[in-house]
Amino acid sequence: MNKEFAKPEEYGLADLLCCAASREVQDNEIVFAGTGLPMVAIMLAQKTHAPNLKLIFEAGTLDGRPPEIPTSVGDARCEMGASRSSGLHDAFSIAQRGYVDLGFLGGAEVDQYGNVNTTCIGDYLNPELRLTGSGGNPDINSFAKRTVFIMVHEKRRFTEQVSYITSPGWRVRNWPGGETVHRRELYGAAYRGGPSAVISTLGVFRFDEESGRIYLDTCHAGNTPEQIRDMCQFDLDITRVSGETLPPTREELHFIHEVLDPEQIFIPKVKPK
Amino acid sequence: MSSGKRITLQQAAEIVKNGSSLTFSGFTIWRRPFALVYELIRQRRKGLHLIEVNGGPQTEFLVGAGCVDIWESCWVGHELYGKYGANLSRKVGNKEILVEDYSHAEMLFRFSAAASGAPYAVTQTALGTDIHNPAYDTLGNAGLRDGRRIPKHKYRFTEDPFFGAGAQVMVPAAKVDVAILCVQQVGEEGTVRVNGQFYSDPEVARAADVTIVMAEEIVPEEYLRRDSDLNTITSFEVDHIVEVPFGAHPTGMFGRYDVDGAFLKDFYTRTRTQEGFDDFAKEWIHGLDHLGYLEKLGWPKMLNLKANTALKYSTGVKRGQ
Repeated sequence: MNKEFAKPEEYGLADLLCCAASREVQDNEIVFAGTGLPMVAIMLAQKTHAPNLKLIFEAGTLDGRPPEIPTSVGDARCEMGASRSSGLHDAFSIAQRGYVDLGFLGGAEVDQYGNVNTTCIGDYLNPELRLTGSGGNPDINSFAKRTVFIMVHEKRRFTEQVSYITSPGWRVRNWPGGETVHRRELYGAAYRGGPSAVISTLGVFRFDEESGRIYLDTCHAGNTPEQIRDMCQFDLDITRVSGETLPPTREELHFIHEVLDPEQIFIPKVKPK
Repeated sequence: MSSGKRITLQQAAEIVKNGSSLTFSGFTIWRRPFALVYELIRQRRKGLHLIEVNGGPQTEFLVGAGCVDIWESCWVGHELYGKYGANLSRKVGNKEILVEDYSHAEMLFRFSAAASGAPYAVTQTALGTDIHNPAYDTLGNAGLRDGRRIPKHKYRFTEDPFFGAGAQVMVPAAKVDVAILCVQQVGEEGTVRVNGQFYSDPEVARAADVTIVMAEEIVPEEYLRRDSDLNTITSFEVDHIVEVPFGAHPTGMFGRYDVDGAFLKDFYTRTRTQEGFDDFAKEWIHGLDHLGYLEKLGWPKMLNLKANTALKYSTGVKRGQ
């Protein structure tokens, strides 16, 4: 198969995000999958560089190998080919037991320490807008060794401090007092890691595990580090930029559009110019 | 042998009283007991306290109809067909509903505790988040923590006393009056066989004081007992059974029919306002019974949603662009 990088006119932003997400997966890992683009990314990794990865769907499918992309994690397509078709108690117990290497998550807001908000915009007690709530976001983020967030990049979403911590980043609150601590101090024996990357529509960000602070790793083509820093409400560290985000290969695009998501449920196909 | 557990949809709805606490089978947009949810709305039930492992369209319909005073859960939306719960969001903004937020695993462990008769569960999830912020204890702030059905505290923190593993959070058992399940098959004596992922159905059925099972079909109990290893919930954990084909629509039923995404999208789009919800309810809920509802949906729609018996999902539903 053709592993050459595709030309800019051959792919769209969703393809780029999907491939960047896919490359976060390593072979033999146990990966917790959410609905949408992450599901395509994980199945893409399964088809390319990580054929032995194990997939867990939050609704209860364990070691899934769906022949077609499921529309949601409760979808009948999850079950076929799986090791077990079970329930949430199994999925969350397995995660709490420490089996999960990687989880893919999303969020409405992220802050410089990787704390994520999916609960409400504005003051929790008088919200401007109530959102979906946590779902399994904090759970996967508490239990997995690494988590990767895929987010739309808008300045209002990249905040100094999220208005509500739905999902724990690197520096969190120690309740009932609420003082800020490194998550290592709070999780004790259950500490396994934390957010390892944010893939936004502008670039890929990583975290310094000691300081817990986010930094820019790669820029998607057409964006400079300075431009991306201007799109954050906090002072983004751009001293560690390693280059440009690698584009999709022709092989990856083939799998995304011909095999995994031919119906364009999650990833639209770029029309040839 | 008949056990006398069989009741009608109307009778099932009457078991849920004004002020009852209530939970459901299923997961987000799958296997939600919609025929009974519609009946509760028709009977204009008030003051319900929903305690759900996760929410979904059933939450949005009951909340939009004004049936719900308290919602304890972790998530509401329509997955691909509507990104958040617009009715809940509107009522939160207007302070017409109390919301108590837990994480998904916490909700699941709360039901596991209740299902095993334990007063609480202990976990290490969501530490450091605002879910544990004491200022955000909604039921406490409202003075509703009586220590009977509503636990005295939202959380307690402790340190592992056995192995020194560090901080732990104790979450109270989820005590509910009624669980309503929606499954493929139930036997005349109440044995349940769920096909596909069973989500948190075994826990919610066991946790509730009264468990009502709505099934696509009521089958001879002997048929299920021939292969008892395939069954999901024990006969005596189920109090009442109701036969309601296509009873989960617009949510999906593994092996039987898919989610009606177009219907959910239409609901999500039209019910941002209360007027929009009332209009939708007038069209699809009030003045109809279950058969009238199916007739209105029509054969072409239902045949399109019908699952292929080998694949377990519909090959007719257009999913993408």
